[in-house]
Amino acid sequence: MTPVDLPGPGLWTTSVGSLPKPDYISSGRSRRARGEIDKAELVELERRATREWIEFQDSIGTDVLVDGEQYRGDMVAFFAEALPGLELGGLVRSYGIRYYRKPIATGAVGRDDAVTVEWWQYAQSLTNKPVKGMLTGPYTICDWSFNEHYASRRDFVLDLAKVIRDEALELERAGCRFIQIDEPAASTRMDELDLVIEGMEVVTEPLGAHTITHICYGDFHRAYPKMLDIPVDQIDLEFANSDFSLLDDFAANPFTKYIGLGISDAHSHDVEPVEGLAHGIRRSLEYLLPERTFVDPDCGLKTRSVDEAKGKLSNIAKAVEIVRGEL
Amino acid sequence: MALQSTVVGSYPKPPEEGGSFALRKTLQAWQRGEVGEAELAGARRDLAREIIAEQEAAGIDLVTDGHVWWDDILTPFAGNMAGFEIGGLLRWFDNNVYYRRPVCVDEIEWRGPSSIEAWRFAQSVAGGPVKAVIPGPVTFARLSVDEHYGDHGRFVEAIASVLAQEAFELEAAGARFIQIDEPALLGAPEDLELAKRAIGQASGQLEAATTILCTYFGDAKRLGAELFELPVDSFGLDFVAGPDNRELIASLPAGLGLQAGVVDARNTRLETTDEVAATIDDLASGVGADNLTVSPSAGLEFLPRDKAKAKLERLAQAAARVQG
Repeated sequence: MTPVDLPGPGLWTTSVGSLPKPDYISSGRSRRARGEIDKAELVELERRATREWIEFQDSIGTDVLVDGEQYRGDMVAFFAEALPGLELGGLVRSYGIRYYRKPIATGAVGRDDAVTVEWWQYAQSLTNKPVKGMLTGPYTICDWSFNEHYASRRDFVLDLAKVIRDEALELERAGCRFIQIDEPAASTRMDELDLVIEGMEVVTEPLGAHTITHICYGDFHRAYPKMLDIPVDQIDLEFANSDFSLLDDFAANPFTKYIGLGISDAHSHDVEPVEGLAHGIRRSLEYLLPERTFVDPDCGLKTRSVDEAKGKLSNIAKAVEIVRGEL
Repeated sequence: MALQSTVVGSYPKPPEEGGSFALRKTLQAWQRGEVGEAELAGARRDLAREIIAEQEAAGIDLVTDGHVWWDDILTPFAGNMAGFEIGGLLRWFDNNVYYRRPVCVDEIEWRGPSSIEAWRFAQSVAGGPVKAVIPGPVTFARLSVDEHYGDHGRFVEAIASVLAQEAFELEAAGARFIQIDEPALLGAPEDLELAKRAIGQASGQLEAATTILCTYFGDAKRLGAELFELPVDSFGLDFVAGPDNRELIASLPAGLGLQAGVVDARNTRLETTDEVAATIDDLASGVGADNLTVSPSAGLEFLPRDKAKAKLERLAQAAARVQG
């Protein structure tokens, strides 16, 4: 395990990954689609939004920052567009009027150039605090793609794992100390948890950075404690969305890794009051060690408005401040 | 009756590549308060008309409205019953697709039909019969939260009585085929007895409509031959995610129908017509072509529009070839 090298008694604040895009990004994208601006102009807008989010996180005292993924659409499509062997298919619906271009594996997956390093370097250049490197895990890319090439899901996952490992190594060489490999699909199928673990082993085995995975939306109670076998230093989980019911599982089987404690519902418009958030942290500390705990929202905040996201992150920071004072 | 083809239910709502996505635009405008209910209803009807025509053009015998009015199969019903609130987003089985979980907070009561208007419109624009689809009571209960009854059996029966009323009204409106979706039953063999009573509440209300108990996303091995004791006319089984269903159908009693999911509704790889015809031929030799209806393995909304359409065309061609 790679312990974290951060000041203070623990209860550090962070974010899961995505943050909302300001209106000028959406209008920039539409204008780019219509050919009214060029790629460089759109990238400039994305850099501005990244800078604003870094400044915001610094202003509320966030301990481990994210770049906010202003340049990404969907977390799988972003990699699919960059990796040979994957291509984007037509639109499919995830819920309501939300649609995404689901990738298709049409050949063996490989990697030509670094996918995330340049953005990470830019974000890191704007702050003295560490910025997380953000990757999508091999199992999730496989699970959220169509497969027209591989004979088995395992073959598909293991090829992806090598690609994501190479990307992680390149982030590490660039100086990244916190690398998150998201596996939100990991709790989908209990019978494939071994495949999640096998894929993650390939990715994290050569890494010296503190490794994190984020898992959401699934049958936690069945995936736990087996999910502790996923070879990462930290698992980031959603607690607000399930009324902290996972704590019952921790009572039976202690949580043995660093945890990312999601205490604010990423899919609700409400900005939860500070006192309620602090209460959630206190409840959790009955089962968790502060020096092993990061506090964040349940999930990426990209579906919230900029104001809602800022409100949630500010209130989390204030709640953490209060509870830290009680340690 | 000869070998038939059908769909399981949902159909992709986006247009083929390059087309204008009118329903989504109208929904966005409706959310912003820029257009009213009438315009939204119009956009839904336009898309339903287009989707029905597309199924018919592909050669599908028994079509659906494509679930154009629905975001998932539970909320349109839960939202229209007394006793339910609509909760948070959860993954729809093992797909990267979500549904809103109904939360039962009070006595469940019928408050009027939930699906009749959409079915009636679909039937008015279709050349042949339109299959009505309702969620099954066990699946409904298992994917919901019960904060009121405190007893799974009573919860299922309360839901079943409302769904039975829906089935009754659908038949009264003219529906000749009513499909009851029970994908969650595959993982809940302990609910089979309960399902017999609960589904009996619905099918017992019906005079002449053909009832189909539809499962998908896996095999019915854990239910075994007892599945076929459920009081319906036909059984929907997924032969893509559940290849072991092939063994199970040896015990399908004579006179009951099989709706067999034979093309993959969850992967873009296009099966060849030869491949599909071989599967259909094999199933027809098992249960008899007269008892067989073929379909995609699940609702087609997991696929982009062009792939869904291509799969239906191949399904219908393969069925026609086997029929001879």
